[in-house]
Amino acid sequence: MLAVDAKDLWKTFRSGWFGRRRKEALRGASLQVPRGAIFGLLGPNGAGKTTLLSILATLLLPDSGSATILDHDVVREAGAIRRRLNMASGNASFVWSLRPPEVLSFYGGLYGLSGRRLRTKVDQLIEQCELGPYAKTEYNALSTGIKQRLAMAKALLNDPEVLFLDEPTLGLDPDVSIRLRAQIAALRRERGTTIILTTHYMREAEELCDEIAFIKAGRILAQGTADELKRQIRIGDVIALRLDPAAPRGLGELPGILQLQARGEHVDCTVDAVDKRLPEILRWLYEQGVLVRDCQVHEPELEEVFVELAR
Amino acid sequence: MSSRADVFATARVPETWFVEVVRTWAFARRNVIMARRNVFFVFELTFWPGVAMLSHGLLTRFLVLDAKMTAFILVGTVALSTVQVCQLDVAYAVLFDIWSKSMKHQFLTPIGIRHMAVGSWLVGVARGVTVFALMAAIGSWAFGFDFVGGGPGSLALFLLGCCLCSLIIGLFVCSLVLLFGTRAETSAWAAVNFTVMFSGIYYPVSVLPEWAQAVAAGIPLTYFLDAFRQGYGFEAQFAHAWLKGFALTGLYVVLAHWALASAITRARRTGLLLKLSE
Repeated sequence: MLAVDAKDLWKTFRSGWFGRRRKEALRGASLQVPRGAIFGLLGPNGAGKTTLLSILATLLLPDSGSATILDHDVVREAGAIRRRLNMASGNASFVWSLRPPEVLSFYGGLYGLSGRRLRTKVDQLIEQCELGPYAKTEYNALSTGIKQRLAMAKALLNDPEVLFLDEPTLGLDPDVSIRLRAQIAALRRERGTTIILTTHYMREAEELCDEIAFIKAGRILAQGTADELKRQIRIGDVIALRLDPAAPRGLGELPGILQLQARGEHVDCTVDAVDKRLPEILRWLYEQGVLVRDCQVHEPELEEVFVELAR
Repeated sequence: MSSRADVFATARVPETWFVEVVRTWAFARRNVIMARRNVFFVFELTFWPGVAMLSHGLLTRFLVLDAKMTAFILVGTVALSTVQVCQLDVAYAVLFDIWSKSMKHQFLTPIGIRHMAVGSWLVGVARGVTVFALMAAIGSWAFGFDFVGGGPGSLALFLLGCCLCSLIIGLFVCSLVLLFGTRAETSAWAAVNFTVMFSGIYYPVSVLPEWAQAVAAGIPLTYFLDAFRQGYGFEAQFAHAWLKGFALTGLYVVLAHWALASAITRARRTGLLLKLSE
């Protein structure tokens, strides 16, 4: 069962006189997200992440292609989607004079909540997002972190089945980010909410997401779990060695060694497949009479996958 | 998984007529809160209408106008201020979100144009009537002008006509803002002045050149002013002025709704809806 099914989405923004200036934001982006998953959408600035999310959130119309959210078409059935979806972004903003409970009451009203049900929901979200001490502060006077918490509370007003989080921890203190990440994980665990998350923090994506898609120049370049992406991109594992004496000549020419960095007795060998290459390297070193004093294997970080794909 | 689906289904609010009222009321309540907390609302409600009434009233004294001509001018003055204040509230349904860059949140929710238009218009009606009462009090106290001179029924129809004209102007302003972005926000204050020239606010439309009279005949406020002034002894310039005014109003409300719906669709296509949230 798919929560999001987008196929071959294209979007070009036109500006200037008679729309002469054109910027292709999406170029055939396709994306499938299973229900109940936390899905990461990664990519460099201007890659098309926000454009893709905005089309899926019914805020933007695609030039071509199709997309469904919970089996509703994003163009023809926007109303049905909006009842079941919500979105919070890192740079969210609300009307300046409203206080947090008033912001939540306003949007709650737009979702049709009223009376005791609205009050209970607002109180619950104020407590859940720790907004109680700021209940009497107008929006303009809130700090960035509190504004972000309020955006998150707003995004939960309609108990969304699909939640889009566009860089939700942008500019937040580490402790607030940790709590927000815990809240996101709890949403999926306790309610089964499908969450699509864009972020520039790779650790956040690796910690939270079941699956990740990498978007660049309006196209999805790769999709899979963090481990699958690391394997797909083949940036290799690193075998860190401490040798006595220092690295002998010829080590870099062994098959499967993608990169070699030597600093005195320390040598980092980036290899294509650690399972196969480690015994070969150790055997060769033994044959050369080199003593291996230490040997460690490092898997590549998601950040390295990101850098490789963004190149 | 089915139990989780049940959780979501239970949490959703069924679409009923009551939900329509709740959504409409949310916009009305927001405008009321904003009106209480922002000083420019006080100026809109008291200062500008007060200044307009006093300065125009004094002008009638300077020009030594008789009671009938004074009524002509002051009816125009009060109509303009009432329409201006009431239509601003409708425009605020979009302008608040533009000024605070929160436009997308509103359009992420399952609302229709009717909710934002009617909700904010209801507050506009309340503010418009307040402005009318204030100006009536000033006019009566300072210049001895009787605003119920045309009869209570005529006054009620006139106020209703002014408020409906405000709804139309407010919706067109919202459309312009969603078509052209922040460049068009000044239309919220400028649009109503279109009626000053053509609707016979300070002079009868008969003094206008022929082409301008044709334009005036397409504006509902022209008919409402004409009908209301008949109560003060002025000759009718249009037959069945009330009927024509309300018929035109109905037509323009439909057109304004269509224009705003088209502007929203265009803003979703061009990305303006997102730009207005950044």
